[in-house]
Order: sequence, then C-alpha cells, then structure tokens
Amino acid sequence: MDSLEDANPSPSSSISSHTIASNDSIQPPVFGQTMRTQHFAFDPAYTPLNHGSYGAFPVAIRDYQRALQDRIEARSDPYIRFTIPELLNKSRAAAASLLGAPMDDVVFVPNATTAVNTVLRNLQFAEGDTIIYFSSIYPACEKTVRYVCEITPAVCRCIEVTFPIDDADLIALFCKTIRHIQRKGGKAKLAMFDTVITFPGLRLPWERLVKVCQEFDVLSLIDGAHGIGHIDLTHLASTGPDFFTSNCYKWLYTPRGCAIFYVPFRNQDLIRSTMPTSHGFHTSLNDSIDGISTITQDRDRFGDLFKWAATVDQTPYLTVPEAIKFRNDFCGGETVIREYCFNLARDGGQLLASLLGTETMQTLQDRPNQCCFTNVRLPLRFSHQEPLDKNAKGTLDAANGAKIVTWLMECAMYEYNTWIPGKFYYGAIWVRLSAQIYLELKDFAWAGGVLKDLCVRAQRGEWRSHAT
Amino acid sequence: MGDTGVGSSTCPFGRPIRDAHFLFAPTYTPLNHGAFGTYPKSVQKRLHECQALSEARPDYFVRYQYPPMLDKSRAAMAQFLGLPVDEVVFVPNATTAINVVLSNLRYKKGDVILHLSTVYGAVEKTIQYLCETTEVDDINVAVQYPIDDGFLVSLFRAGIQSVKSQGKTVKIAVFDTISSLPGVRVPWERLVEVCKDEGVLSMVDGAHGVGHIGLDLAKVQPDFFASNCHKWLYVPRGCAVFHVPKRNQHLIRTSLPTSHGFDPLPREGGQEIVNPLMIAGPSKSNFVMLFEFVATLDVSPYLCIEEALKFRRDVCGGEEGIVTYCERLSNEGGDKIAEILSTEVMENGEKSLARCAMTNVRLPLIIGDGPGEIPRKNTLAVAIWMTEILAKVHDVYLPAFIHADAFWVRLSGQIYLELEDCIRGARILRDLCERARGGEYLKDQKRE
Repeated sequence: MDSLEDANPSPSSSISSHTIASNDSIQPPVFGQTMRTQHFAFDPAYTPLNHGSYGAFPVAIRDYQRALQDRIEARSDPYIRFTIPELLNKSRAAAASLLGAPMDDVVFVPNATTAVNTVLRNLQFAEGDTIIYFSSIYPACEKTVRYVCEITPAVCRCIEVTFPIDDADLIALFCKTIRHIQRKGGKAKLAMFDTVITFPGLRLPWERLVKVCQEFDVLSLIDGAHGIGHIDLTHLASTGPDFFTSNCYKWLYTPRGCAIFYVPFRNQDLIRSTMPTSHGFHTSLNDSIDGISTITQDRDRFGDLFKWAATVDQTPYLTVPEAIKFRNDFCGGETVIREYCFNLARDGGQLLASLLGTETMQTLQDRPNQCCFTNVRLPLRFSHQEPLDKNAKGTLDAANGAKIVTWLMECAMYEYNTWIPGKFYYGAIWVRLSAQIYLELKDFAWAGGVLKDLCVRAQRGEWRSHAT
Repeated sequence: MGDTGVGSSTCPFGRPIRDAHFLFAPTYTPLNHGAFGTYPKSVQKRLHECQALSEARPDYFVRYQYPPMLDKSRAAMAQFLGLPVDEVVFVPNATTAINVVLSNLRYKKGDVILHLSTVYGAVEKTIQYLCETTEVDDINVAVQYPIDDGFLVSLFRAGIQSVKSQGKTVKIAVFDTISSLPGVRVPWERLVEVCKDEGVLSMVDGAHGVGHIGLDLAKVQPDFFASNCHKWLYVPRGCAVFHVPKRNQHLIRTSLPTSHGFDPLPREGGQEIVNPLMIAGPSKSNFVMLFEFVATLDVSPYLCIEEALKFRRDVCGGEEGIVTYCERLSNEGGDKIAEILSTEVMENGEKSLARCAMTNVRLPLIIGDGPGEIPRKNTLAVAIWMTEILAKVHDVYLPAFIHADAFWVRLSGQIYLELEDCIRGARILRDLCERARGGEYLKDQKRE
C-alpha cells in the first residue's frame, strides 16, 4: 500500500528539471528571454506585456499544483479533510511573512474582489455613513460600493483625481473630502484605496492615506490587488490598515485564483461571514460555551472561518510557499525581483517614450521607479488637448478616443500577438506596460515599433471602419 | 457487476473502468463520491488544456477564447437539462448559487425563509447569517428519517401554513433534490408544487442532482435551481450550474461577489463605470452578463462540461447506464453492509429514499449510558474516530454521522466501484463498532 504519510508532493523534485544553474554556485538569475523560455509557459509567438491583469506563473509552480491536484484525486476525502488544512496554514504563514503580519490575521480568498465584497457586505452601515474612494478605483470595486449603497443606508463619495498628482495634493484632497463629509453631518465610515492603482499603473502613497484614516477615525480598506510580490509590504501590518487584500496570482507567481485577505485581530469581529457564507460561520449563540463567549478570545477563529468557504479547488492557495521558494531560489529573492522589475519599468518606459517621441507618466516628485508599471503616452493629438509635441501630425476628435483605443488594442492582439492595455485618459491615449522577470529592454523596443505603426494607421483613420 | 445492461460502455464498470479511466490511488476504496466527486483522465486532460490556453496568452484567453467557450459549455449544460440557454450560468458551487439567491432577495419584517432540518450545513448557516443581518426570520421544519414522501410533503405544507397563520409570509423555501446527511432522495418535485400553491418561491438545492438523478426542470419549474457539476457529472471542482428562469431574473441584482457584470442604478452626473473586459460580441441578457466574469478565477472547470458529457456518453454508454449502475450498486452495497452489520438500510414504506446513488446504513451502536453504549456527549468523537481509522489505517473513506438518535454511514454508488468494495468497508465497520462499544475511541482521545 503506498504510503499515506507521504502527503505532500516533494517540492524540489518538480523543480529540478528546470534548474538554471547548479545549486552549489551562486550565480545571478538570468532575467529576460532566458527566464521566459526556461520557466514560463507562454506561447512563443506571444509577447506578454500585461502581467498586471492576470499574472503568470512558472512551469515549476504549475507542476507543483498539478501534483497537488493528483494527490487530491488519488484520495479526495482524506486529502481535503486531513492534509489540506495543514498545507493551508503553511501557506498562510508564508504569505504573512511578506506582510509583516501574524499568520492568524491572514486568510485566503479567491481574489481581491471577493475580499472587498466580504468587507463591504459584512460592515453594518447607518444613515449618514459614507464610503470614500478615488476615481481611480478598480471598476468592479466601484460597482460593489454602488451595490452596497443600494441595499444599505450608506452613501458613497468619489474623489475625482487626475494623475499624475503630487502626493501632498492627493493627501490634501483626501483630508478635505473627509472634513467636508463631517461638516455636513455625515460620517466618513470607510475609505477604500489601492496600493498601486490599475490605470494608470502608479503607486499611491497608501501608507500616508492610512495615517490620515487613523487620524480621522475612518476605516481603511486597501485594495492591494497589485501588492504582494510587486511592492515591498513587509511594513503592512505595522502601518496599521483596517483591512487589506492582495492578489497572489498577479505578482507572486501563483495560479489563479488566489488572494490574501488580511484583517488585524482588532477588526476580526467585524467580519462575521465569508462570502459565500459557509461552514465556518457561527451564530452569536453558538459561540457561547458554558455561558462564556469565545468570540474575541479564540485566535484561530478568523482562520477557521475562512478555512472552507464552499467547495472550490484550493490548490492555488497551497502553492504560495512553493512560489516564494521559486522566487528565492531561482530569482534571487523579493528584493532582486523588485529591483529588476522597477528598473525595467523605468528604463523600458523611457525607451518606449523616446521611440514614440512622447513621455512616461511621472508624479511631480519624479518617482519613476516606484512600481513594475510604466505608463506611456501615445503620439496622437486629440482636439481639446494642449499641443505637447511636434511629432503628432493632425488632430483626432476626442469623441473618438475610446473607439481608437479599442481598435489599437485589438490590432495589437490580432496582428502583433500582444496585449497592451490603453485608455483614453484626460485627452490623450496612454498605454500601461508591466515589467517582469521574463522581459527585457528589447521587448519594450519591440512594443515601440508596434505602437508606432498603429499610431500612424490611427492617424490615417483606419479605426473608422472597425466594428466595435 | 460490470455489465450495465443498458447502452454499451466501452469499458466494463467496476475495477476495469476505474483502472482505465480514473485517478484513484490503487489501494484506496472511495465510497464517498457524494462529498467531492471526481473526474476521469480525459476530463483532466481537458482541464489541463484549458489551463494551458490561459497561460499561453492570458489576455487573449480571457477576452477572446473564454467567452465563446463558456457559451458552448452553457449550451451543452442547458441542453442536458432541457432548459433555455439564457437561463443557465455557472458558479463555483451550489452554496454560492444559494447565497446569490438568498442575499439578493429583499426582506421586510414578517418575511420568513423555510427549510427542512436536513438542510445542508452551509446553507443553514447562510440562512442564520441572513436572520442576523436582515429582517428575515427562518422556520426549520423538523424531519426525521425514515419518513414517507407524503408525510414529508404534508409537514412542509404545514410549516408554510403555520407561518401564514401567524400573519407572516414565507418568502422562499429551500430544499434539496437529495439531502446530504442522510443521503436520501427528497420529493422535491412535489415540494415545488406546494410552493406554487402557497405563493412561495422555491430554491432547489440540487447539489446532488445533475448526473445523479433525472431532473425535469422544464416541467417542474422551480423558481431557482443549482446543482454541483463537480459532484456527479465528472467535472472538476468547482463548477455548479445555476438556473434562474427568465421570470425571476429581475430578482437577481448582483453576482457574488459583485463584479464587472453588475449594472449600477444610474446616478445624476455620474460617469458610466467602464467594464475593462471590453468584448465585442453577441449581445447577451443582463443575467448572463452578470455571471460571465465574476472576479478572476480559474474558470477551466466550467469549460469541461462537454468533455464530461462525452465521456459519459461514449465511454460509459450514456446517462441511463451510469445512473442505473450507481443506484443498483448503492442499494445492493447498502443491503450487503446492513447484512454484515446486522442492521438495516434507511428506507421508508414506499421505498423512495434510496432511489438514488446514495444509501444510508445504520451502525450497530446504541446511544446511551449503559455498558457497550455510546454516551451522547461522545457521539461526535466516535464518528470522527471511526472515519479517521477507516481512512488512515484502512484506506477506505465512508462518512459516519448521527441522525434520529442513531449512527449511520452513507455509501455512494459509482461506476468505478464493485460490491466487493462495499463488503470491504462493511467488515472494517463491523470491527470498528465492536471496538467502539469497548470504548477504544476514548483511549485514542486520551493519547492526544
């Protein structure tokens, strides 16, 4: 009988076939094309410039996940009931170590949107309670806020922000909004903001926003979808947000869907139910044993609540330790990855901008290397736009901005086999590229060629006949 | 045992099809298909293919490949169930679908959710949470098996009427097609009829449904229906079909979680919220759009429906053969276990409870304080102890549970099992019951 004790697929055995360098020599990781062909499963004809949307994970993690799935199908009941809970805790601990948080405060959910929904639907809102967010909010999160305002007394306040914006100005806007709400007799109940916003791809001074929230007694919900594995978050817990979520499948090299949901102990009583409600839920009656409530005393309660939130494939959650190990063993660790990606974003963005004759988006503090994204303006001049550069010949109607962007992105996909997210943003088209360890400068140069061609064709009006 | 007698499977059921097509460890005896289901190698291959597609070109997959693939899957599922395709979507599991329905409804004081006492645990908790956070109240119709269908239906109706007599309204009733513990067939078609008579919405929890029993949804017309494809349809976890007839789709305002498909109420001066998944495609209904993209997941299980149906048709010889075999094995296996344990199978007078692929057999244990009896406070511990030894020592999985003041085990019949598997489980159970009567489970507890 094969061993029942042998519960975990051996991690290193699934990685060994993909070793770059022998384990005994300290060689710097080879990022770029080499990393891409050796470790990732992209179609060779595809140029992956949009890591930020869906992430990607190395073949070694895929193999590890498949080994886990095989173990589950070999003996589903015993594995799910007896082995997975242990693996889940190991994963929680591994993720927590990147957040500077205790394991007990970190659980898994399928994605950041679920965590945001979990917070907003669990909170009790009273008349006058206001949910604050910036206009750069992720659309699905805004929809969630709107729904919550439909079914509860809460109202919402969207702070219009145009990027780039100086940190101090953003903070000032935020404070002003809170004060305004208070003056009108409302309560700024909760503020939701990102660590790195989705579009444009820019880092927010989220730590300072948390401090403002603390000052004004506003709950802070951080949508750190672009967070873990992207920016350094080892100071997250000490910064003190009230709720935080981040997608591991985006920047931490785990499969979809896997996100962490961090709730410091002081707030865990506010989260009564998972979404959907499942076995972990306890009514306030159940929690009383021998007349003594165990709610606030049980350090495992939050973990138990989220241990099982209805039947899904939990293997993505279980790959976190292996993903971190890959990043340490084959990529040189978080700092090395971060430095490479930040520098590539900066240098790649600048290269792209110079090829197009435009510029990258930077804050007035000129912090080009704060995240893995770079945002570059396309050399297309639109009506109502200040003439910014001499390369733009002719003027396009701003009313067609969105249509042109759609056409551009679809052409990039169908003709050039790449996806470059763009947006018609305050009078110009900006594109966002994601730097990653499987890319190098030549990929940004290549993107420059693609975008140049597409802009010429846009100028000629090719998008007009395009059906959207 | 391998001959289905109906249709022609290309591989005999029992050990042959298990070895050729399924992924079990060779020495494992999986008698609990009802909990997590499983899927054959050909479906796993399809799962991997879809996952590989999504890794090859992630953006292209999500925006261009996935939507038409999803539509094809939905169409296949809709056809299987005899439903219009625009009334069928996928969610990760039945619990999510039930949460969607119950949390979308708007409750006022006096509204009540009705359920049976055999409601699935997570669903009961969902209802409890709603009672805590909204105006709604719940009523629990106590059911103790074995019970005749007619009697259950009358209890159900009496429950509704007792609520009405208090001046309250049963807004919605939740009930199973087949309950979990015990695993018994529920006269759900008749309960839907009662709901219609009484003006009550019906939420049918068909977690054990698709691929397990016939579901004439077009004829019965429940108000809401959900079934786990990953239980009995050989589809990977998590994939459930969620059916909402057009007449009720306006009640479902949002998916769970709320995501890109949600259509907010218009606001003065507000900008339209952009859907970043800007797909140009055939226009779809709000309901379908609501559930097309519900936050990032591995959607590959949703895309395995056709392959699973193909396996069932081409390798297994069709639905009838599968369902017949599973039910027959479950019943014969249950009888065998009862024989070996000198107990009985849970069944009512009209023999309707076991008309499915699950059977419940009573264990030879008495709950009480006498010698050889199990004290009430230890019943859960005994059930856990037995399950663990079965699994960890004997490589057999059978769930043990308490119902109507007795211990039971629930057997799931499947095409990859034979009578011998059930006999093996029975003999171990007989031995474990003897040891339990001797108090051995207590020693194990102390050892910890």
